[in-house]
Amino acid sequence: MLITVPDRPRLGPRLAFRGWRARRPFWGGLLLALGGGEILLTEKASLKVVMHIGMQGLAGYLLPTLMVLLGLLILFNPSQRLFYSITGVLLSLGTWLTSNLGGFFLGLLLGATGSCLAFGWLPDQEPRTGRRKRRRQARAAARAPAPKGAQGAA
Amino acid sequence: MASSPDVPSAGNTPENPESGSPPEAPQTTGTAGAERRGRVRARRAAVMAVPATLVAATLAVLTAQGALGVQFAISGMPFTVTATELNGTGFEQFGNLDNMAEGSPNAGDTGGQVLVVTSAIKNATLTKLCQSVDLGGTNLLITAGSGAEKVTASDLTTDSTELSGDAAFNNIEIGNDASTLTKAGVKGPIGVFSQQADTVRIAKLRQTNYATIAGVFKLPGLKLRFSESGC
Repeated sequence: MLITVPDRPRLGPRLAFRGWRARRPFWGGLLLALGGGEILLTEKASLKVVMHIGMQGLAGYLLPTLMVLLGLLILFNPSQRLFYSITGVLLSLGTWLTSNLGGFFLGLLLGATGSCLAFGWLPDQEPRTGRRKRRRQARAAARAPAPKGAQGAA
Repeated sequence: MASSPDVPSAGNTPENPESGSPPEAPQTTGTAGAERRGRVRARRAAVMAVPATLVAATLAVLTAQGALGVQFAISGMPFTVTATELNGTGFEQFGNLDNMAEGSPNAGDTGGQVLVVTSAIKNATLTKLCQSVDLGGTNLLITAGSGAEKVTASDLTTDSTELSGDAAFNNIEIGNDASTLTKAGVKGPIGVFSQQADTVRIAKLRQTNYATIAGVFKLPGLKLRFSESGC
């Protein structure tokens, strides 16, 4: 389904998935979609009742459905993640009012966490280093005549 | 679904990551070193997480205080209770006024008050209890006590607007002041008509209630379901 730019040689499926995951806020999108799904599962009112109640009842289904959609969009169109995640967090909070207290709080929690992760995600980061190592590097950089970007890590 | 892989330069994020990592000019994918991956920056995530937590907490507090209506707040809706037979000892009945929550949408032009008949029974046994609430299009139906074991309740108080059935009382006193009642341990407002009896037996009971309070309410064989028709 995904025809990405073949910038690297063909790898095994696991490694390919790892590469795919590295290029998008994977956990953010997944959690947001799961949160929406959980809220949808807690909905018990039949469609007939929803039609009877009107917009208030429809919103109970509309918000979690949009959460699932936004979660998938974050996964498959990560370049628009800021808009998706901001909309996602607003919808997640809105489900408190419309859909069984946000799927009895669980779906709201998943959705809000996922949105925050997607919002905080940035592509193309340095490989993870430990705090101690980072501090040592900063000290070394401060001692040496720094070339540029010397204000450095926290 | 057009796939749009993120180009390595964070095109749509104007600000640099706050760590100010020096921009490494050439991409170093495929080299022996660890590859560059997308990652969640904690401080960036906190920009959204902190306000979201505050809003969620505010919603929870407002809901707990009752200032915020959630979807399944249905208070102020009447519900129907039926039973094939009710046997009780210690019976009182008096007029009363119930108040709905402030600003309840069910208040209509009543000012949120409903005139009810309060019935209190010290110890009650009910056969084939059925309770239903009309939710508009569907009914929430609760049944219990249809088997050998019957529904029992102590200190049962119901606020009803309608009550029908075939009743029989022992040692009934009619016309007491509601504040002087003794048989079920509940006292009504002063200056209100009331009646009390030692025992009560009502067959084919049917009530339209706004509230039920009980000290202990045992419901053997409880079944809760949605149904097209009420009790």
